[in-house]
Amino acid sequence: MSDEHAPHAHRAATWRRYLRFWGPRAEADVDDELRFHIEMRVRDYMERGMSEAQARAATVKRLGDLSNDRAECLTITTRRQRRMTRAQLVDALGQDVSFAVRTLGRQKGWTAVAILTLALGIGANTAVFSVVSSLLLHPLPYPHADRVAFLYQEPTQGNTTGMMVTVTARASVIRAWRESSRALEDIEPYTSASMTLVPPRGDAVSVTTASILPSFLRFAGEHPLFGRAFTESDLPNGHVAMVSEGMWRSRYGGESTIIGQTLTLDGSMYTIIGVMPSRVRLPRAFSAIEVWLPLDLHNEHVGYSTMARLRPGMTYAVAERDLDSISTRIDAAEKSKMQFHSKLIPPRQMVGFGESLLLLSGAVALVLLIACANVAHLFLARAASRQRELAIRAALGAGRGRLVRQLFTESFVLAAAGCVGGMLVGWLGLEALVALRPGTLTELDGARIDLTTLVVTIGVSALTGLLFGIVGAMQSARHSTHESLKAGALSTSHSRRQSRLRGLLVVSEIALSTALLVGASLLVRSVVRLQMMDAGFDARGMYGITIILPEKAYATPAARRAFYAELTVRARSIGGVESAMMAEEAPASEGFLIGALQIDGEPAPPLGTTAFVDYNGVQPNYFRAMGIRLIEGTTFSDTSDKSNQVMVNAGFVKKYFAGRSALGHRVRVVFNGSGDWMTIVGVVGNAFTSGLTLDASDPLLYVPFQGRYHPAILVRAKPGTNPIASVRKLIPAIDRHLPLPNVTNVEEAMQQSIATPRFTMMLLAAFTILALVLAAVGLYGVLAYAVAQRTREIGIRIALGATRRTIGRAILTQGAFLAIMGIAVGLGGAFWATKFIDKMLYGVPRSDPYSFAAGALLLFATAMLACLVPMRRAVSVDPLIAMRTE
Amino acid sequence: MDSSVDFLKGTLDLMVLKTLSWGPTHGYGIARWIEQCTSDVLQVEEGSLYPALHKLEEKGLIAAEWGISEHNRRAKFYRLTVLGKKQLAASHDTWARFSDAVFKVLRTAPAGR
Repeated sequence: MSDEHAPHAHRAATWRRYLRFWGPRAEADVDDELRFHIEMRVRDYMERGMSEAQARAATVKRLGDLSNDRAECLTITTRRQRRMTRAQLVDALGQDVSFAVRTLGRQKGWTAVAILTLALGIGANTAVFSVVSSLLLHPLPYPHADRVAFLYQEPTQGNTTGMMVTVTARASVIRAWRESSRALEDIEPYTSASMTLVPPRGDAVSVTTASILPSFLRFAGEHPLFGRAFTESDLPNGHVAMVSEGMWRSRYGGESTIIGQTLTLDGSMYTIIGVMPSRVRLPRAFSAIEVWLPLDLHNEHVGYSTMARLRPGMTYAVAERDLDSISTRIDAAEKSKMQFHSKLIPPRQMVGFGESLLLLSGAVALVLLIACANVAHLFLARAASRQRELAIRAALGAGRGRLVRQLFTESFVLAAAGCVGGMLVGWLGLEALVALRPGTLTELDGARIDLTTLVVTIGVSALTGLLFGIVGAMQSARHSTHESLKAGALSTSHSRRQSRLRGLLVVSEIALSTALLVGASLLVRSVVRLQMMDAGFDARGMYGITIILPEKAYATPAARRAFYAELTVRARSIGGVESAMMAEEAPASEGFLIGALQIDGEPAPPLGTTAFVDYNGVQPNYFRAMGIRLIEGTTFSDTSDKSNQVMVNAGFVKKYFAGRSALGHRVRVVFNGSGDWMTIVGVVGNAFTSGLTLDASDPLLYVPFQGRYHPAILVRAKPGTNPIASVRKLIPAIDRHLPLPNVTNVEEAMQQSIATPRFTMMLLAAFTILALVLAAVGLYGVLAYAVAQRTREIGIRIALGATRRTIGRAILTQGAFLAIMGIAVGLGGAFWATKFIDKMLYGVPRSDPYSFAAGALLLFATAMLACLVPMRRAVSVDPLIAMRTE
Repeated sequence: MDSSVDFLKGTLDLMVLKTLSWGPTHGYGIARWIEQCTSDVLQVEEGSLYPALHKLEEKGLIAAEWGISEHNRRAKFYRLTVLGKKQLAASHDTWARFSDAVFKVLRTAPAGR
């Protein structure tokens, strides 16, 4: 290497130094090494008294041409680097890691705080992500789940409500689909019910049952744990059952003798033929299935849920057309116009919790960001105090790249510990989530920390590790080690830059927390409003008993009405029953009947734009018994088949009559191609009979009760009594072939209807508290550090006569300044972000000033609380001690 | 170069290992140490030293790390590895016996002093 190359090489060295971190660079290393040698030799000659020129000449003479040797070194080094095996790298990594662990272990408190912060942030994300993964990413636990969808029908006559209106297909249509569909390889209808199980010993209990076709297990890709599955030959009699693995273990002690034993369900005997593994789950079942029964697809009366699996390569659109062409044939054969389109709905769109989940995901991501800011901040504080240590190590021969790598290793070790802690926190969090889940969110039961969640958790942890690693590396790279050693402490410019960065971190933490707080306040206010809302009817002591009458025995409406009339009369005579009446749909049930609405005198709307309206069939005493207010007119007088009277709610009048009187107008509800004109005789108040979250002012029609589908008997119990068991037993007493029916406690069901928003609110509040605590810890850290750094300065000031009041005020002002900056940014962010939760708010505008004020105030109060300790420490600084230290 | 004694094959490696057994140092440090130890009888030739160092590093007998020199300059520091220590111990014995044997031969030769 000749001298002419040196200057150029020297310039290059500066930037090469940074590159070297990313991997060895043989050429640069060899050149640097030789140049160092040459310069040392020159220095030596000069020390012996030569001039610089003489020394250089002597060196060149002595060394001669080194280019061959340089090339040789290069070859060897390159070869060595290339040959460096993975084992050596792992070994080097192991050394780094063990060193990092030792270093972190020396600062136990610091490390514990950092790991705990990370574990909380990562854990909260793991818990929520595992729910997202189970519900939204892997919603159905079946093979080829990407081709599985729910199968519904959608009214063809259009739907102007903007809501998704779907109905379940009739059994005859499902049968035809199963026989002829070319686009779908499986179509699996199922139903789920609550039945009464009378065990051989002990009291009767209510269990959840599901009815499935023999093909279901193949669809689910499962086999019976033992025993056998259903076969086609089980269907005609149907009195066989499979029990769940859980029930088998708890009730039958896991004995194989269970096969062949009998079960009494709703008064009928079933022979147990097999045990269903607990892995088999049904989506949208209201709780874990304990008994499985064979489904009789010839029973037209049951509302089926249906799942289907596309053939490979098929699209939803093709399959829907395929299904439509089949159902059109059925409709033609039954001489009715086609009413419905087939609709395949991907499972993730069916998750009722979906929107809340996205909101919660956002919230926990914010919590993680805050946690990251906190740990980055911890790193900054630590980097400052380690500056000297790093400088000493550099002086002892550690290269800058080596140090940076060490810092990165430390952050990754920390992130790894946070990851492990996070998984633990996540697992606990998920258990808590499932334990606290409202009854309606059965999907949560399937939430597990699965492989996807683990991969994401590890990825997130690695990312956080990289984040602090960069912060740490930036700090160490920015400093000349020399300077740090000389100064013995931080140079002022450095400390100012650091405190600015730290302030920035805290401001962003506070901003994120503020945004979360505002969102949480909005949700809390919504839920409170929902809870306090007037339902428009009195749910206290109200029970709904749903009855399914067999089609063959009760073929005519008259026969069905006779049964209901008998039941109602008998129920009223039971002591403790205040009132009893019939309705087509019980309050708090899934929904109402729907039909296309036509108003007399208005032009018939073109097909496809007809408004759909909900309607319910009720007896005349329904309104008084339910406590629904009569606003105008009368209740209908007659419940006979020929009745042409109808009642509407206030929402109906508002929407279709613009608030003018609707009395005397004629309307009809067209369903299945026909519908009789009816005269509006009365207007009643809006009632939230289908749950508190639905809009009570949606138009609703009340038609006379006819006993059409599977109606309910509504019973109001006198306060302090529970006559429901007696009422329930009336049904088999009237007709001994009928099973005991399901009973709904309307009051509880109304509470359940807001369980999801309440649950979301609770979770968001929990995350917000977590965020608040983290932000407070962050602010505390900044101020505590500032006080610790300025102890000497504070001491001098006190010695010079500054009052402790002034000192305290200065610290508080610093904290308040950061807090106010953060809050201001956060309120702005919240104003923008609340548009994402707008749909989840009820009766609270998203710009609700109270929520914004509450968020700001609560955060400010927390921030001031975080300032207290550093402030007290500052005012109690003893000037003598302060000046002696350092 | 004006060295009076040329190295026998393998001698340089041994001396490098021995030098490093005192502690990590850079290539120039090694050269100077050998020169000073032998009162400049042995002069280390750069053309041999650096390839030797790189070869030793390749064999895993020594390890290198960049660090800051005593004059606050960036330099490549070499240190003895565990393998290198073993090698040094083994070679040390071999050399002692070898040089002893050579010396005996030289002393008893008729042409000797």
